[in-house]
Amino acid sequence: MVEFPQSIDDLPTSMPRWVGQPIPRVEDRSLLTGQTEFVDNITLPGMLHCAIVRSPYAHARIKSVDVSAAAKVPGVVAIVTGEDARRETRPIYTAPPGWGGNCLAADKVRFAGEPVAALAATSRYIAEDAAELIEVEYEPLEVVTDAEASVREGAPLLFEERGTNVMYQRKFVWGDVDAAFAAADHVVTERFRWHRVGANPMETFGVVSQWDPIEGTLTCRGSFQVQGFSATGAAATFGIPLNKVRFIAQPHGGSFGGKGGQRGTTITTMLSRKSGGRPVKWIEDRIEYLSAGGGQAWDRHYEASLALTKDGRMTGLRVRLLDDLGGSAEGYGAIGAAKPLASFTGCYTIEAAEYDLTIAATNKLPCSAYRGMGPPPHNMVLEQLVDIAARELRVDPAELRRRNFIPKDAFPYVIPSGNEYDSGDYEATLDAALALADYAGLRARQDEARRDGRLFGIGVVSTIEPGVFNSNVYSLVGFPGGTAQPEGVTLGIDLFGTITARVGFAHEGQGQHTVISQIVADYFGVEPDRVRVVVQDSMNAPPGYGPGGSRLGVAVSAATLGAADRLKDKLIRVAAKLMEANPAEVELMDGKLRIKGTTGAEMPIGQVAATMLTRSDLLPDDMEPNPQATYVWTAPGRTMPDESGRVKSYLTAANACHVVAVEIDRQTGEVRIDKYAIADDCGTRLNPAIVAGMTQGGLAQGVAAALLEEYVYDENGQLLTSTFMDYLLPTIYEVPIPDKTEIVTPSPFTPLGAKGMGEAAIHTAPAAIVSAINDALAPFGLRATETPVTPNRLWKLLQQAKG
Amino acid sequence: MKPPPFEYGVAESVGEAVALLQRYDGEARVLAGGQSLVPLLNMRLARPAALIDLNRVRELDFVRASGNTITIGAMTRQRSVERSPDVQRQNALLHAATQNIGHPQIRNRGTMGGSLAHAHPASEYQAAAVALDARFTLAGPSGTRSVDAAEFFVTYLTTAIEPDEVLTEIAWPALSPGAGWSLIEVARRHGDFALAGVAATLTPDARGRCAEARIALFGVGPTALRARGAERTLTGAALEGGVFDEAAVSAEREIDEPPSDVHASGEYRRHLVGVLTRRALREAAARAGVATSTGVA
Ligand SMILES: Cc1cc2nc3c(=O)[nH]c(=O)nc-3n(C[C@H](O)[C@H](O)[C@H](O)COP(=O)(O)OP(=O)(O)OC[C@H]3O[C@@H](n4cnc5c(N)ncnc54)[C@H](O)[C@@H]3O)c2cc1C
Repeated sequence: MVEFPQSIDDLPTSMPRWVGQPIPRVEDRSLLTGQTEFVDNITLPGMLHCAIVRSPYAHARIKSVDVSAAAKVPGVVAIVTGEDARRETRPIYTAPPGWGGNCLAADKVRFAGEPVAALAATSRYIAEDAAELIEVEYEPLEVVTDAEASVREGAPLLFEERGTNVMYQRKFVWGDVDAAFAAADHVVTERFRWHRVGANPMETFGVVSQWDPIEGTLTCRGSFQVQGFSATGAAATFGIPLNKVRFIAQPHGGSFGGKGGQRGTTITTMLSRKSGGRPVKWIEDRIEYLSAGGGQAWDRHYEASLALTKDGRMTGLRVRLLDDLGGSAEGYGAIGAAKPLASFTGCYTIEAAEYDLTIAATNKLPCSAYRGMGPPPHNMVLEQLVDIAARELRVDPAELRRRNFIPKDAFPYVIPSGNEYDSGDYEATLDAALALADYAGLRARQDEARRDGRLFGIGVVSTIEPGVFNSNVYSLVGFPGGTAQPEGVTLGIDLFGTITARVGFAHEGQGQHTVISQIVADYFGVEPDRVRVVVQDSMNAPPGYGPGGSRLGVAVSAATLGAADRLKDKLIRVAAKLMEANPAEVELMDGKLRIKGTTGAEMPIGQVAATMLTRSDLLPDDMEPNPQATYVWTAPGRTMPDESGRVKSYLTAANACHVVAVEIDRQTGEVRIDKYAIADDCGTRLNPAIVAGMTQGGLAQGVAAALLEEYVYDENGQLLTSTFMDYLLPTIYEVPIPDKTEIVTPSPFTPLGAKGMGEAAIHTAPAAIVSAINDALAPFGLRATETPVTPNRLWKLLQQAKG
Repeated sequence: MKPPPFEYGVAESVGEAVALLQRYDGEARVLAGGQSLVPLLNMRLARPAALIDLNRVRELDFVRASGNTITIGAMTRQRSVERSPDVQRQNALLHAATQNIGHPQIRNRGTMGGSLAHAHPASEYQAAAVALDARFTLAGPSGTRSVDAAEFFVTYLTTAIEPDEVLTEIAWPALSPGAGWSLIEVARRHGDFALAGVAATLTPDARGRCAEARIALFGVGPTALRARGAERTLTGAALEGGVFDEAAVSAEREIDEPPSDVHASGEYRRHLVGVLTRRALREAAARAGVATSTGVA
């Protein structure tokens, strides 16, 4: 039985602890100097370069593909087409299942940019020149780019064999929703349109695939977010045993959900096979990433209602979502529609809720996962309803929220959709944020601004960030999910007494290797930068998943502690034998094994480990000469969904309150953020500098979703925002550096009390900014219900104010 | 995103550049800072047979102030223009225009000549050139010629430069003594091309009336254009509230159908022209030391 410390105070150290300190990240030196093996730095002997031929049409039948001219170009080694893909591979796995095709389209294309052929050549230049010579004849089909149109009778069908564009439909009802609405004194209803946004890491996806024709094995090095999952997918796609597939996740410049790379990995593997086993590299370029990669998510049409009593108690929530998933279900974007179940009713004690969910296919890029995984739009909708209600009830929006918060003594608290929140003090977070922002002062400034005819608004929004994902909730939309979400760490001490941690996920920028180093440092009495964290490939790593769904900080610290406990037990048994003591009398403290309650008798861990490795004659009977231990952690107590879809999914519930003030230029519709204050609670902060970094990054993406980013398609399904000139990422000028403060309610469910917080401010910021804008517009009775709130949209709205 | 094959030639002088251009018979493009051209190549939207690199033509890298003109070599980096004390002293509008181009990284590479030759309709340099009547010197096989801004900018991304010509220098008249100026724009993000913008100068006479008004609107048509009607409205008028509104209304009407794109409708752009013209004139008047009645802009 492994014992986990209950809090950071239980770690076996008498020194100032490393855990909880904002120490610089151990990863940064190699990442920032570029002295690390990013995938594009890899050159293997005989390596070829891939270029992909993509459909210019959003919906078309493929009549013919002629590769003869390309094949004649000197330097071209292999060419593959949709016919090859159909012969050699299975369709890409999708969720919901059965809504996709092969990595190269053979019969028809369903979005502009869909791959139809690919080739490998001795340089990327030659590959791109030759790719231009591949001639594809298309028969264009009618295009549907709007989900509301695509679910209508008579719409052009993307998958004719399915007879509909509705990929998924289910109405979840939890509690007596009809009764709650029938008894309500107030019902507020609004429609919202959240336009497509998505992940844009600094580095796009890239992969080098190599097929070994003798052994029938596959090795892929790439910027995989989750290498084990990708390896499993590749084995299934090629119908080969999983033990013949090795995936190596290279360190990479961010992911945020969009680095599955299924098509690129499959295509390069086919090319490697066809070229007799030469490695084939494909680095997705930025236009490919934006128009045909993993960077699009959350294209949503909402209609939602909130029921309240006359004293402002929220009693029921109805959300109808039409989710536009694009041209297939290959990007796992659908799980973004399932995850809101983990925090459906936000911070509030709403007892009855309904979720009417339709997922539709359209001729646009298939949606992928994106940081936050679906709740950010949901939170925007719920929080706008709360604000609308506050206005209708003439209650301060902060006050209305306060009245409905789950009280701090009600935890663990089960929400209508079945998830259980671990702990929290939402009122404390709200109060801290209000104080930090000087809420009263902001309201006074608002009064003054209104007197001057200026549009000044304040948003106050509290949200939950579900942490430590579990794929059980994703199984509702057809993702292969169970209740186990393993994460393993192996710890070992070598002959020199130095400690190595082995994990199965690469650097992506979040800093989990630092967290491991901090925990090991406290546990075994060394400096964090003396701990080496080594990334194992998918064949060698212990079972594990990797980063995603705000899980890894918690999962990996738990796994590290489990492995440390097992290793400590071994060291204690050996030390007890050497010190001629009872193991029960020996303890680990400050890196030494010592007899409890005595001074003098102690052995450093390195000495004990070295003894294990060199002197079997001194070891206890049955003890292996192996100063290593592995622990594979999974969140305890998870369940499969019940018949109404209720499921205990995410283990932790972090909470944040954002207070933001904006001023709108009444004539141009430009929005300027005047003040931004954040109070958040993610339980124990294992490394506050990392928490601050994650919050700032999430805020950038949240500001962008509220004000800037949008993938725009024309009616022919052509992406109009295929470069960073038009897809507007925020820069340092657009993202505020917020004032921040913290509340700490440790999680009772995780070792050390930390809660998942890797998505952070993206859950809250879009809602808070839209709230502030709508607060500014309130005197005109106007509200923005479409994101991003661009100057053009806001100006159009303000036209109505002028009558 | 790799360019199609092209040949590459390095020119050390304007003469060499012109000779190389001639050799490729109109199929070559000159390479300046590469900030606009290289993306076009990589996206395969431009397919020149050859690139003639001007980066070693030292004679085109200068800022020369004489009397009431500043002459700037086409290969002068935008960052050098921005830092030039002569420019700051003689031509605050040009200085402001430079600061509004992209980000320092872009300005470190991007050249004045490249920006003007590229002729993006939302370019601040184009707006300043149109507002101030800058003159352009072009060198070709039969010597040099000089054209003014009205002639130089033909339409969207098109100038009067012939395929075998090189833009060598631009002469910028100094702002008149006592003139006030303004360059304002609405862009989605800091450093983006403007959705709409206005560059303006106002020169008051001794009695505070408008002796000369120059207004260029940019980002709202195929080239930057002078709002001549608005300028006429202002000339001779007392520089205060009402006339700015009149000029703004006039400017809004003077433009043809402005472009619509993902960031702004034509209708919104037209509206911005009015708002920004009013604001620019107020700011220019204030800089010229003319007190104007304020109010919500
Ligand atoms: C992110 C970003 C933001 C930007 N924002 C702005 C902005 O806000 N405002 C703005 O005005 N610009 C902006 N730009 C464009 C920038 O100003 C470019 O530097 C400029 O357009 C091109 O200058 P260049 O020296 O790089 O020319 P290049 O890209 O090398 O050349 C551009 C074109 O001009 C031709 N050319 C260049 N020099 C000569 C010459 N001497 N004679 C004849 N033809 C020549 C080339 O053949 C080519 O066709 C931005 C660019 C980027 C990448």
